[in-house]
Amino acid sequence: MTDKALTIALPKGALYRDAAARLRAAGIDVPEHVGRKLTVRTADGTTLLFLRPSDVPAYVEFGSADCGIVGKDTLWETDRNVAELADLGFGYCRLVLAGRRIDRYHEGAPLPTFLRVATKFTRSAETFFAERDLPVELIPLHGSVELSPLVGLADLIVDLVATGTTLREHDLVVVEEIAESTARFVVNPVRFRAKYDALTALLERLTAVPA
Amino acid sequence: MRLPAGVRDWLPHELARKREIEQQMRAVFGRWAYEEVQTPIIERFDVMERGLGEEATELLFQFNDRRSTALAMRPEMTTPIARMVSTRMREAPVPLRLAYIAPVFRYYEQPQEGRMRELTQAGAELIGAAGIDADAETLFMAIEALDEIGLRDARFDVNDARIVDGILSGAGLEPDQAREAKELMKVRNLVGLRKFDRPALVEFAQRRGRHEAIDSARGICRTPESRAALDALDILLRRADALGYGPRVTVDFALLRDLDYYTGFLFEGYVEEIGFSLCGGGRYDSLLPRFGYNVPAVGWTAGVERLLIALERRGKHVRRRRHRVDVLVAGSDVVAARERAAGNVVRFAGADLGDEALVEEARAHDIPRVVIALDGTVRELRVGPRVDELPIPRTPSNWDAR
Repeated sequence: MTDKALTIALPKGALYRDAAARLRAAGIDVPEHVGRKLTVRTADGTTLLFLRPSDVPAYVEFGSADCGIVGKDTLWETDRNVAELADLGFGYCRLVLAGRRIDRYHEGAPLPTFLRVATKFTRSAETFFAERDLPVELIPLHGSVELSPLVGLADLIVDLVATGTTLREHDLVVVEEIAESTARFVVNPVRFRAKYDALTALLERLTAVPA
Repeated sequence: MRLPAGVRDWLPHELARKREIEQQMRAVFGRWAYEEVQTPIIERFDVMERGLGEEATELLFQFNDRRSTALAMRPEMTTPIARMVSTRMREAPVPLRLAYIAPVFRYYEQPQEGRMRELTQAGAELIGAAGIDADAETLFMAIEALDEIGLRDARFDVNDARIVDGILSGAGLEPDQAREAKELMKVRNLVGLRKFDRPALVEFAQRRGRHEAIDSARGICRTPESRAALDALDILLRRADALGYGPRVTVDFALLRDLDYYTGFLFEGYVEEIGFSLCGGGRYDSLLPRFGYNVPAVGWTAGVERLLIALERRGKHVRRRRHRVDVLVAGSDVVAARERAAGNVVRFAGADLGDEALVEEARAHDIPRVVIALDGTVRELRVGPRVDELPIPRTPSNWDAR
């Protein structure tokens, strides 16, 4: 690990295309499609790790990757000790509190005394409700959260919204916006020092205004 | 039968390795004329709160005694030592040089490697000494200590809390904004710092270097305190150069430590392949005054487990040394006592074992001699060459020892 070639953690899924394009613009030969590969070594010696988005912060915190690209929403959820060096701008989405249109919570209808909220974003939801001193029963789910209010599992959901299509399809509406998320360039705090030249050069190329 | 999260047992071969590191650290403290002290594991909650500030009390394991006095387990040693010195060592001539190797306890919500709820700190406090000589002493002692345990390529980043304040005020931030910016600086969150729309903040949060970095900060640092700190750091780098440490010491203007009592010089030591720092310290002139004793102080501390992790990752200490036993004695308390008095390590065997079983036991534990005292006769057997080091077997019982 004495050479100054970088190891970069990349999120598979929604962010991959934009992340790969941005890295290619920065001169790193990132493949168009990952396929089933876990890792690739590029011609210039850079090692790329293809990870589940929620695993990126752990790889970076422990230094198995020097740096990575990850959504801000994932950083909220994982709370790992990584340094956030740049907002890359792509992958925009909003974390929102949403409910059924007919319940009219978005128009100020009183919330139930015993409020149930389903979410994949337990940590962010916990923080949001704790800051408001709202007693809630959080129901952690792993997929299709939008179903839960329709069948009475939850009164509200906390979920990510990119275009709003999913909400509209199920006749759900935003009750409150919790936060906005975009992709971030993150580095391991110690590795930032140890590979300072390589990492600051990459930071500069990633954040250069496209011509 | 499970342990609570974030704590661990130390099996004999594991503890032997830990003790070895501790002995090496202790030797370095001794060579620098630091005397070891010990304080209680529990303190009154208000003492810890006074030393650490309200925010850091989140880190405390706290409980009440039966009279409802709020108590806490110490999460670090500097506050207990500051309390001890301000209450019981006021008459002692300063500067005081005190060292400790001690367990501390932190309530981490999610414990993990390098962030355990019980950890061992080895550190030193130089109390009653202001100025660059004292700052340099802590840094150079830390470098020597890491050298001593075999981390000769460890690198050290230095900074000064007054320089950070100089940069923040030089960038034109109001006190409230400055506090917020400092928190962002501490975790090097450039995204957050960009929101202040002061390019200098982002620039200095990612600037590292040596004399040229210090010179570049002179433009923005206009307070007398921050300018004095820049001069001191410059001198410190020169002194590091003279010791041959030059290439290992770098200025990092975003380096800030977790606890809020630091007032000046700061440093952290790390090795490239481990994602967290191994040691760190700095000047905390405001801490002892919080306990009514108006003296400046500077200190540093290393996480012993983190040092072990760093060494183990490099393949050092992967073999264990068995506890050395010189002689296996059967049948006589008197013979065994005589052997111990002669300075030998004696393992006692049952009198009912035959010669063959005794030799087998000696072989199994690499014991070179067997002395059998039975029916008034004393016989000695020699057992073949002894092996000092054995590989650790990969059994489930030591997987988590990794």
